[in-house]
Amino acid sequence: MMERAMALTEEHLRGPAAGAMGLIDLLKPSKGRAVAQVPAKLETAEPTDAGKPLIELRNVSKTFGTVKALQDLEVSIRPGELVTVVGPSGCGKSTLFNILAGLEEPDPGNVLRHKGISSVASDLLGKVSFMPQRDLLLPWRNVIDNAILALEIEGMPRGEARKQAMAMLPEFGLAGFEAQYPNQLSGGMRQRVALMRTFLFKRDLMLLDEPFGALDALTRTMMQRWLLDVWQNHKRTVLFITHDVDEAIFLGDRVLVMTARPGRVKLEQAVDLPRPRKADIVTSPEFIALKKTLLEAIEEESMKSFQVAGY
Amino acid sequence: MSGSIAYAANLSVTPAGRIYAAVKPILWLAVGLFAVEVLVMAFEIRPYYLPRPSAIASGIMATPGAYLAGLWRTFLETALGFLAGSVFGVVMAVVFHRWLALKELFFPLFIVSQTIPVIAFGAVVVLWFGNTLFAKAVISFYISFLPVTVNTLLGFSSVDPRQVQLMRSFGARDGQILRRLYLPAALPQLFVALKLASSLALVGAIVGEWFGDTTGLGVLLLQAMYNENVVGIWATIVVSACLGMGLYSLVSFAERKIVFWGGEQ
Repeated sequence: MMERAMALTEEHLRGPAAGAMGLIDLLKPSKGRAVAQVPAKLETAEPTDAGKPLIELRNVSKTFGTVKALQDLEVSIRPGELVTVVGPSGCGKSTLFNILAGLEEPDPGNVLRHKGISSVASDLLGKVSFMPQRDLLLPWRNVIDNAILALEIEGMPRGEARKQAMAMLPEFGLAGFEAQYPNQLSGGMRQRVALMRTFLFKRDLMLLDEPFGALDALTRTMMQRWLLDVWQNHKRTVLFITHDVDEAIFLGDRVLVMTARPGRVKLEQAVDLPRPRKADIVTSPEFIALKKTLLEAIEEESMKSFQVAGY
Repeated sequence: MSGSIAYAANLSVTPAGRIYAAVKPILWLAVGLFAVEVLVMAFEIRPYYLPRPSAIASGIMATPGAYLAGLWRTFLETALGFLAGSVFGVVMAVVFHRWLALKELFFPLFIVSQTIPVIAFGAVVVLWFGNTLFAKAVISFYISFLPVTVNTLLGFSSVDPRQVQLMRSFGARDGQILRRLYLPAALPQLFVALKLASSLALVGAIVGEWFGDTTGLGVLLLQAMYNENVVGIWATIVVSACLGMGLYSLVSFAERKIVFWGGEQ
């Protein structure tokens, strides 16, 4: 089983293996981990250029009726990055995700480039692996069959999809649970099944929308460390929404702070903490300094959204 | 009767417990029948109002062939109508779900169709199809499909829209979403309707037989009524009840096997 897991991992890796990567490589935004991710079903499998963003949004606005959720949003994500997004509630984070997942079309006049190619949002349907806030597991499917849902939709034969998923179980801490049903699992395990479903749907970009928001604090820190391990093994590009500043710093290469509605990027903060990150990093002076900067920015925006609500 | 399997599953710790769980409903039924027997004798209730259970039993045993033939015939009519009604009901729900315009056009007609009393409709059906098994199945079908359609639609509407969005983000087509999400999600609601439809289908078959036939539980009931054969009436009621309970338990059994997750969404 372990062997299969390793084989699968290596399949996704181009360039140096995660373990052999030096600190310098990890901190450099690209080169070493540029390639990140080659989709399982390759259309044209040429590695993306190191400097070129995987996805780029410019002038993206979204209006719902009279409410402006996003205004002139600019985001660009390089391959292999883990970018976290924080902001006051209702700042349009989820709208951003729905656009990137292809579920919502932004207002006209936007620029959306996927691998350098101009696209409309619906082109991204099936191109991005999206994990919503709730695990949304199907109660009539056991762990393995929930995990392979996306692969099945792609048309992979069930047997083969199950084999891939079985190989991934130990890494997701679900070995031996393949035949259990969602109502037999704890919240943390359900979340890991949902994450496994997202990982198995091998796409350039993974969107995680507060995946640990509903978990207790202890489980959450465990899951964060675990996610970093898995991310480093699989080299995916991840955009991660959270409302927890600690989580945003602990996980991210960059943190984007969004403004109150209408949402824009207020601050883009690089996180130069070395990887792999240990749990005690949250008490280091560098971490605290970053947290201070980010909290100030968020505080300012939260106040604004209160004032708006007030009148 | 329908609960016996569930009990058996819960009490499967010891063999003795399992046997007790299996015979428990039968035991209670026997106790109940005995109590009725004693009450009828103690209060000297005339057989015209309520014959003794033992008299009903011996009535059935006197001519078991007639009751068995009636049971079989009515079962066939009911099963045919029920199956056709269920399939049609689900198919119409899918059609209404995918083409909302069709729903707006035809769903009101569905409702109206059910306001025509089945008796009035039955006469026409017998005129069209004659005194055949098929005619009774049509009446069974007619009164069993609507609850299936309504509940399947209800099940569809209980699907979490975020779940649909997730499937779409995987690039799923409508057909894939229907098969992998809507249909399984509607199963708990569908089974509620199927249990109801199984009883309704039996009513349809019995009423259908009243328009004229030579075998069937409805026929036996009519004959006993015209002859003021009270024991015969009660015997037919008992056999019909057994058929109804049997069908219901069959559907519940299928429900427990298929909807094992218990409708949690």
